[in-house]
Formats: sequence, structure tokens, C-alpha cells
Amino acid sequence: MTKATDQGRALVALQDLDEQIRDAESAATRAKYEEMGFQLPGLDQLHEAQEKLEDAIDTKLLTRYRLLADRAGRAVVPVVEGTCTGCFTNVPTSFTSSVYEGQIMNCESCGRILFWP
Amino acid sequence: MTFDELVQYMSPELFVPNLEAREKSAVLEELTTAVVEGSKVKDHALILEMLRNREQLGSTALETGVAFPHGRSLAVTRLTILVARSSDGVDFDSEDGKPTHLFFLLLAPPHDTGNFYLQALGKIAEAIRRKDVRTSLMKAVEFDEVVQILQEAS
Ligand SMILES: [Zn+2]
Repeated sequence: MTKATDQGRALVALQDLDEQIRDAESAATRAKYEEMGFQLPGLDQLHEAQEKLEDAIDTKLLTRYRLLADRAGRAVVPVVEGTCTGCFTNVPTSFTSSVYEGQIMNCESCGRILFWP
Repeated sequence: MTFDELVQYMSPELFVPNLEAREKSAVLEELTTAVVEGSKVKDHALILEMLRNREQLGSTALETGVAFPHGRSLAVTRLTILVARSSDGVDFDSEDGKPTHLFFLLLAPPHDTGNFYLQALGKIAEAIRRKDVRTSLMKAVEFDEVVQILQEAS
């Protein structure tokens, strides 16, 4: 059983990768890249990496992540200066205390998964 | 976007005059370590994974001997630009197979609206298109000189 912290970090890595794939699949971004001289032949490799990451994440958590992503655009959001950047509500300071250490925390207001960068 | 705006995201702490690493994977690691040491970015592993994935998509090395490892990550809170050089050059999988000497690492937060980092990338790529600019950048001793050369070239 992997620790919740590892699961949380795998989710963050997955969201970074999901966004990378979305960019690589966007015609506008591709055009910008090509204009600058970059080739993007490796989309398949990114999908493979995505599958690998998904396999490492607990099914329930992954389902929650996908649901949130569909509903809210971004499932995981950074907490910046004590604020959830998904809904701009203050995150209780107790969330960062040792009681919750290693747990995956959700914003009480919008439900998104919180990450402290 | 003006170059003066861009310069705000660069700093002397984010300048590596001569990389020690001699191959691509190690260079990505050294760049990540340098950015973690020189900025507010903390999560080495997440950044490295994102950069490696980006290189899987396609090398960020251009034929001019310059590479632009870049991307967005939750581990980043503001645009961060690191400049690094390798006097010996590194095989960074460029199209022409020639070694890469100059590196511009660009990291952006996920909520980077309007792909600001891609604009920044384009701006730098444009400035270093001239060979004399690249040559001066390789010779610059201090970070301030690097900034000055880029400013004059843009
Ligand atoms: Zn929220």
C-alpha cells in the first residue's frame, strides 16, 4: 500500500502531464511550437507515461480526480498564501498541521484537491 | 511582452555559467537542482519528471545550439527563468545532431493564462537567433552581461 503522500504527489504529476498532453494536442499551441522550430513527435510516449502514472494511483482516488477535472477543469489546485486558487477561499491553517500530514486534503469550499507548492 | 518584463523572472541566482553534466539526462537533473537552489521552487522530483516528459514529446533543442527545457507544473508559483551554459556542449537530441551549449529553462505555474511562458520562450528564441548574440552570451562572465546582451538583441 502506497502512502497517501505518494498518492497525492502522483496525482500532481498526473495533472502536470495531463496539461502537457492537452497542450500538445491543441492546434494553437502546436502551431506556436512549430513556428519556433520545435517538433513534437512523441505524443504516444506521453500517453504511455500517463497510463503508467494512472496505474500507480488508487482507483478510487483516480476516479475522484477525473470527476473533479471534468467538473472543475483542474482537480488539483495550489494553495498560495493560504488561499485555494481554485475558488479563492481561505484554507484553514489547521490543514497544514501535523494532524493532517500525509493526507490528501480537499478544499472545504470547492472540493478540489489541495497542493502546497 | 517587453524584455524588461522578462528580466523580472531572471536572477543572478538562476545563472549556471558552466554545467558539469555531459549528457542529456544529467543536464536536466543539474538544471532542476540549480532552479531549486536559486528560486522558490521546492519540488525537485516533480519538476524533473515534467521536464523529462516534455523531452519525450520532442527535444527542446533547436538547431542553433540552444535548448529550452520548459513547462508548467503545480510545483511552480511564478514564471522562473534559468540560464545555463556548457562550454563543451551536450548532445540534447537536436535535429541536426550538433551539441547544445546554451540552455534557457522556463518554468511556469499551471494557471499561466495566455501561455505567458510560451511568449517568453518565443521572445528569447528570437533574440538568440543571431549568431553574434549567442557567441557573446557564451563569453559573458557575469549575469548582468547576459541580461544586457539579451536586452540589446531584442
Ligand atoms: Zn477551493
